Amino acid sequence: MELPDLARRWMNALTATAYIPLSHAEIEQALLDSLIELPAEPESVGYRLVSLHATGPDSLQVTIDVLSSAFELPVLARLSSAYAQAMRMDAFDQQEQIKVAIVRAKQRVERTLKVSQARFQEVFDSAALGIAITDFAGRCVEANDALAEIVGLESGADLHERDLTDFYHPDDVASLSASYRKVREGHVDRFRDQRKLIRADGEPVWVHLAVSLLRDADGEPTHFVTMVEDISELHLLQRSLDHQLLHDSLTGLSNRQHFVTQVERRVESDPITLYHLGLDAFSVVNNGLGHETGDKLLKIVAARLRKLADEKKAIVARIGGDEFALLTIADNVTSTVEEIQDALAEPTFVDDHGIALSASIGVVDRPPAFTTAAELMRCANAALRQAKARGKRQWALHDPHDDARRRGRYALAASMPGAWEHGEIEIVYAPVHDLETREVLGAVARLHWEDLSHNDTMALADSTGLSLPIGKWLLREACAQAARWVAEFGDGAPTLHLALGALQSRDEDLVGDVKRALDETGLPPERLRIALDISSVLAGDDNAVVLHDSGIVTALDGFHGGHDELTVLTEVPVRTVITRAPAPHPDSPLYQAMRDLIAAVHSFGVRFGVDEVHTLEDAEHWRSAGADGVIGLLPALAAAEVTDLLTKAVSPPPEAS
Amino acid sequence: MSERVSWVPEGLDTGKPSAARLYDYLLGGGHNFAGDRALAEKFLQAQPNARTIARLNRAFLRRAVLFMMDHGIRQFLDLGSGIPTVGNVHEIAQKADPETHVVYVDFEEVAVAHSQLILEGEPRATIIQEDMTKPAAVLNAAEESGLIDFGRPVGVLTVGVFHFVPPEADPRAIVAAYRDAVPAGSYLGFSQFTQDLQPEEMAGVVEVMKKSQNPMFPRTKPEIEGLFDGFALVEPGIVPLPLWQPEGANLDDPDKAGIYAAVGRKL
Repeated sequence: MELPDLARRWMNALTATAYIPLSHAEIEQALLDSLIELPAEPESVGYRLVSLHATGPDSLQVTIDVLSSAFELPVLARLSSAYAQAMRMDAFDQQEQIKVAIVRAKQRVERTLKVSQARFQEVFDSAALGIAITDFAGRCVEANDALAEIVGLESGADLHERDLTDFYHPDDVASLSASYRKVREGHVDRFRDQRKLIRADGEPVWVHLAVSLLRDADGEPTHFVTMVEDISELHLLQRSLDHQLLHDSLTGLSNRQHFVTQVERRVESDPITLYHLGLDAFSVVNNGLGHETGDKLLKIVAARLRKLADEKKAIVARIGGDEFALLTIADNVTSTVEEIQDALAEPTFVDDHGIALSASIGVVDRPPAFTTAAELMRCANAALRQAKARGKRQWALHDPHDDARRRGRYALAASMPGAWEHGEIEIVYAPVHDLETREVLGAVARLHWEDLSHNDTMALADSTGLSLPIGKWLLREACAQAARWVAEFGDGAPTLHLALGALQSRDEDLVGDVKRALDETGLPPERLRIALDISSVLAGDDNAVVLHDSGIVTALDGFHGGHDELTVLTEVPVRTVITRAPAPHPDSPLYQAMRDLIAAVHSFGVRFGVDEVHTLEDAEHWRSAGADGVIGLLPALAAAEVTDLLTKAVSPPPEAS
Repeated sequence: MSERVSWVPEGLDTGKPSAARLYDYLLGGGHNFAGDRALAEKFLQAQPNARTIARLNRAFLRRAVLFMMDHGIRQFLDLGSGIPTVGNVHEIAQKADPETHVVYVDFEEVAVAHSQLILEGEPRATIIQEDMTKPAAVLNAAEESGLIDFGRPVGVLTVGVFHFVPPEADPRAIVAAYRDAVPAGSYLGFSQFTQDLQPEEMAGVVEVMKKSQNPMFPRTKPEIEGLFDGFALVEPGIVPLPLWQPEGANLDDPDKAGIYAAVGRKL
């Protein structure tokens, strides 16, 4: 047989016994080379077969079968021997290689294991969570310091061999054991729970528990891992938030909201009494001594009221800046009011300031059961306003009838800003009459709204904060109107009189406002008379002086004839005082006193005017007592009506009829 | 599915036989241990033709790689490459073009360590230790190796390994993930045991491997067809090992080949 044919037969036989990673052509060529080499170098052919990977269990056998027809036995024996040797060496090489691979793999696994263990240890040690690994009997195999801290021990080592269930609340042991069992039996992967642990010192601590299984390499469960999170702080924080929601942060007393719920809870079933306290003159403390002192004072008041409430089994709350509330059951109002005042009246020293304390108190006693808490709070507040109006250290029982009237007034006050905006508040002009000459001295500009008098309207404006803007508006509009009259009627135009409210009278912008009004309207200053509220002058305000220095004639409104008022008249340059006293009947014992008072005013060079004189009879009484002028004899008129009158005639004042 | 709490990695146990070393033994290699050989003997009892099947499978790998090289593929991702034995992909491919890149993927510690030994000083081939049933991790690591450019066609190989992927691992999704990661014109080389051929022997093999670390899941032809979703099968389709583009005339018996082979081209 030719060698190429032999090589092909050999190739076919060999490739059925072993995988030789070459193409058939390549294998055939390699085998042909081997056949040529074989007689001289049978050993190298043996090595080549192994290196070609013709190393199947039957590879040598088929080789001998194919070659035995063409080659001598000694040659084939040498080939076989070399093949066997090469196989051994190859096997050694491969075993060596796989051994190195194993060693490397092991090293890598061990390294990973070490890193992993180190990582685990780091997590275990530094976790904020308490972690315990327990055996199935519940004994700690390992526990970290965080867990020790939670249960009140020094270190994780102290937990070693301890039974974790020792720290469970006795009531929880049975149900927790059941949960652990479920995890172990594979019913659940893990369980989480919120429980109370009992610390080593016996104190309870709230925790979140998370429990799962540890398994070995075969996946068999071996241990429990219990993670423990201390949530007591959360608990405390939650409780503190609840407390903050219901309590006043400064004094620690219940706040308004909390108090209202307490009232709600009791009003239906109990004979309750509600006391609404407003500290007298607290704003004086705050403004005069500063807010810090004010806060200290509030704390002192709170402490005293709390003590009193404890004694009376009452509920106390701070329900506003300087307002407190007390809720008692089956109480005697007068004695409680006294107790409150006594408690507050103890001398109080704050930052070396001795402060006298008292409160005004509004009381709602045993309201009907169907009253709502909000309604009760409002009634108590209304009673407090009433008490305050009476002066310091007063108290008032809520009166449902009086309340209805006040509410009407408040409703009116509430609608005032809208009314003003919509032009419903008008300016009207009332004549000022000289009692001696019966001439019209001028016109007083007044507000007219609904059925309210000027003074009621101003008082309402005061309570809504509108008095300043309305007062400024009145000043400007009236000046403009007066200027038009001056322009049209010259000397025949009435002098403008303006009576300012209390707030505007002491407004520091007043002088500027007056000057601007005069400048802008062109009204000559001598055609304007400004009546300031006398209380502003008594309080030491210098608007009257500055206006006088600016050439504007001033009057003081609200004169009562007190000593302090008379004193002011000696110091402040005013033209007139205005009173609203009832007319002194000549038969009255007061008649002479009034005459003397008017004489005294005159002696200071000041004229005496009277407002709200509506009958000629009263006017006559005033005249005889010495007064100089009156307002109110004729109804106030709108500007257009005044203009009409002025146009018709520069007429004499109407005769008394 | 209950998740294992693995706070320590499992150790290395060479006493446990591995499919990779069993394969090596069947191919006549020496990279195996007594445990592997004992399992191989049981395997041979169940399937006496196992050595031939191993050889045929290895030969198919070679043909498949060379087919892909002929069609321009110059980068291979060999999933479940096992321990390097005769005729590794990079040897076959780089013989044709030394510039060819090969990334082997295996999860088994010894196979990985062994591959690293073999690949020392091989700049264009590497092994990454990942689980081929987790395509995202494999693709990520392959990208990081710098050897595979996913913008160019890739030869993805899963030869004699997919029968270790259990049905619950969602084999179609696994193949689809690799398919989606490579551009059109890429190839998938695939072979795995089937019960369509010699069902009795196959059942025996499944039984032998059931308790090993690598239980086997043979698949029918339609099941394998399903895995080639999005691929055009290359001629002659899904066939027993020796029938896939055979090199010579004298064929081994296809009915005893145990394994279906196929190559698909991504559409």
